[in-house]
Amino acid sequence: MIARVTSPTAPVATTGYPWPIETAQLTNGLRVVVSEDRTAPVVCVNLWYDVGSRHEPPGQTGFAHLFEHLMFEGSQHVKKTEHMKLVQGNGGSLNATTNPDRTNYFETMPSEHLELALWLEADRMGGLVPALTQETLDNQREVVKNERRQRYDNVPYGDAWLRLLPLLYPQGHPYHHATIGSMEDLNAAGLDTFKAFHQQYYAPNNAVLTVVGDVRAAEVFALAEKYFGPIATVPDIPPAPDGSLPDPATEEARETITAKVPAPRVYLSYRTYPFGTAGYDAVTVLATILGNGRGSRLYQRLADGSRIAQPDYIGSYGVDLAHAPAPLIITATAKDGVDVVTLEAGLAEVVQSLVDEPVTTEELDRAKALLTTAWWRGVSTVGGRADLLGRYATQFGDPSTAADRLPRWLAVTSEEVTEAARQVLRPESRVTLTYLPGESA
Amino acid sequence: MSLITTRPEPGAARPYAFPQVRRISAHGGTVIAAHLPGQILASAVLLLDAGASRETGGREGTATVLAKSLEEGTKQRDSAAYALALEGLGAELSPSVDWDAFRVGVSAPGPLLAGAVRLAAEATRTPKLDPADVTRVRDDEVTALRMDWAQPGPRADATLRADLFGADGRYSRPLHGDPTSVAAVTVEDVLAFHESWMLRPGVLLVAGDLDALDLGALAEAAFAGTSGELLEPSGPLGVVLPPARRTILVDRPGSVQSTLRLGHRAPERATPDYVPMTLAATVLGGAFTSRLNHLIREVKGYTYGIRGSYAMSRRSGRFEVAAGVQTAVTAPAIRDTLGEIERTQAEGVTEAELEVARSWRAGQLSVEMQTPGAIAGALATLVVHGLPDDYYETLRREYLEATVETVSEAASKHLAVEKLTLVVEGDGAAIRTDLAEFGELIDADV
Repeated sequence: MIARVTSPTAPVATTGYPWPIETAQLTNGLRVVVSEDRTAPVVCVNLWYDVGSRHEPPGQTGFAHLFEHLMFEGSQHVKKTEHMKLVQGNGGSLNATTNPDRTNYFETMPSEHLELALWLEADRMGGLVPALTQETLDNQREVVKNERRQRYDNVPYGDAWLRLLPLLYPQGHPYHHATIGSMEDLNAAGLDTFKAFHQQYYAPNNAVLTVVGDVRAAEVFALAEKYFGPIATVPDIPPAPDGSLPDPATEEARETITAKVPAPRVYLSYRTYPFGTAGYDAVTVLATILGNGRGSRLYQRLADGSRIAQPDYIGSYGVDLAHAPAPLIITATAKDGVDVVTLEAGLAEVVQSLVDEPVTTEELDRAKALLTTAWWRGVSTVGGRADLLGRYATQFGDPSTAADRLPRWLAVTSEEVTEAARQVLRPESRVTLTYLPGESA
Repeated sequence: MSLITTRPEPGAARPYAFPQVRRISAHGGTVIAAHLPGQILASAVLLLDAGASRETGGREGTATVLAKSLEEGTKQRDSAAYALALEGLGAELSPSVDWDAFRVGVSAPGPLLAGAVRLAAEATRTPKLDPADVTRVRDDEVTALRMDWAQPGPRADATLRADLFGADGRYSRPLHGDPTSVAAVTVEDVLAFHESWMLRPGVLLVAGDLDALDLGALAEAAFAGTSGELLEPSGPLGVVLPPARRTILVDRPGSVQSTLRLGHRAPERATPDYVPMTLAATVLGGAFTSRLNHLIREVKGYTYGIRGSYAMSRRSGRFEVAAGVQTAVTAPAIRDTLGEIERTQAEGVTEAELEVARSWRAGQLSVEMQTPGAIAGALATLVVHGLPDDYYETLRREYLEATVETVSEAASKHLAVEKLTLVVEGDGAAIRTDLAEFGELIDADV
């Protein structure tokens, strides 16, 4: 374990996960992770399925996410509206998310309802297909199309992520298309395809069950065996298409959109390194130095200094994807009277400064202090911890490696940030997406 | 082998307890702190009786401009030095304004909290407020509001508020003002607001591992150099309902969804009906399995989500249903929504529905109150509404003991389907004709 002091008064972080972690594996392949914490009478149950939109073949974009919706519509022993009713009706909060890498399902419950949560999750892992009907599929397809309208189509700049992905990743790459999918593909989705999708990927040997909170590990392992033990292993689950790329990109990509937006906005984006690598840790620190907070270079130079960018809409962040070089996204929105050329040039200049001007100790310490607080905020709930452990178990094979992330961020040196900038932030690898106010073409 | 067919019974419940609360009075102010053993992160909120309701007419947004000016440097250091000092502790300032209070929040690992509170207080009590900076922040805020108002929602919200609270001065205008009112805010307005309302000690709320925090040092950091008495609270605005239902159209040409905001006034937070009203709204539109979400999302597929709720502040309250629905089904979605409100008002709730609502609301008190930030927010509710330290235990018991009769009675008393204002923000050319069936139709001028 690496220990480093980030500033004269900051506590030394030798681990990012000071709670116990116990693991087991059922004979059907389901991995079970338990982290006990008795401080509050709550427990989170979290399932990571190693299937996301990166697994979708052409013509089936949006299927993994639409499938996530179907998982709430009843299973063999759970009636159509019962899942939500049983979780909320017993005091719980629940949700699910799908991204290019994976799909996760989680509920935080008062701890006396642990067994209920496990029963519900097991029933939809092992018994969804018999309950899946055309009516349910048709209805949830409409809900997902409404989600697309509400989150992407009816919002200024709302489709930026949908536009950046195909610019960042070539045709045929698993990250080329967005998780929400296309309306055309969703309309074409048939019931049998979904049944096959479930049988293929929703397998105990393709999932990690994580339970965090007011529980004992031995009890959870016994209950996992009771509820998930009967579910059969699925042999030969096909892997997603290979995500490896010759990095970095060697050809600049650019798209300019004229749309009903209130001000010009520029996104610069780059492929970096997969989440979990030393390179991506340096990019995480780099993104914080560049665009997180009022002390960041972007804020200091463009919002506070030259005052060409709106202070509320400036920033940079990595998208934590693990199966191919993950994107770094940098954005700024023009102040009144500032043209987009000036804004883009200003943005590019600050980005280049990470290559040309050494990162100061103050900048580095500021970034690490912010990352430290963000880390502890992320693990301040049982839900945050369960998701974290599920991620590391799924993507790196060992939940205890979650503890290393914070110390690794804190060990990044200013030279490593500069080296990451030199490798990643090349003008010839840049993706530029620009929005201009006007009537849509 | 096969799946377990029967739903398991719950285990023994551990008794609910809100974190232990400690209070100290020092340096003219009060610290209220909740003990979260083992939490590495700690949160503090400086709560001042300086909400948006204290703003001058026509200058709505003054407090928000002040909130955004606090970090433009202090009497001790310039803005860049301030940002580095605060962010060097891992903390960021979160100033916010609501109807009842001005809050300045910071979170940091426990050992760094006192330093972060000291800096938060420095910005709150002794901001530089250089006229050129305030003017620039004001202009940025006008631009930011224009950005925000380009999204669906803010214009509909403002239209509903203007209609419900038209005779109530500040309450008829948006919480953070609108682009016009913020553009009218002057440097003098901001300085006067600061001078009038930001220098009293106020209350510091703290949540974290108190074994590692020195409350006396936090009090000194928050209150040193302050003076002034507590302010007298003003009375409630009352529940005024219009003679009949009406529809207001906010045109958004080309919109692929219609944004619905249907509402009427309701009692303020101190109402003795708070618990049954909250449960009635949960059955109607709060839980995922609510009547509205079930019918409009799950059965009809008109929306990604629909919510109905009461929002209550110290002096006012309102009932509201909010949703974004596909343009082509705007009228059917409104019709079905009104049907469910009417049914809930007329027939009340069933035991099966109420069972979900009461367990959910009670369980959420532990499930949703885990972080230091959430606990500090819960402490703020106690202060703003004058509630006792054991309030959350009482609230949980009242939720669990609520009956079908009391909740149905609250629905009947506090829902008024015939008095609703229906604000619809959408493509006027596509939906105007269809809206005629809901009565008088007015065009909004926002």
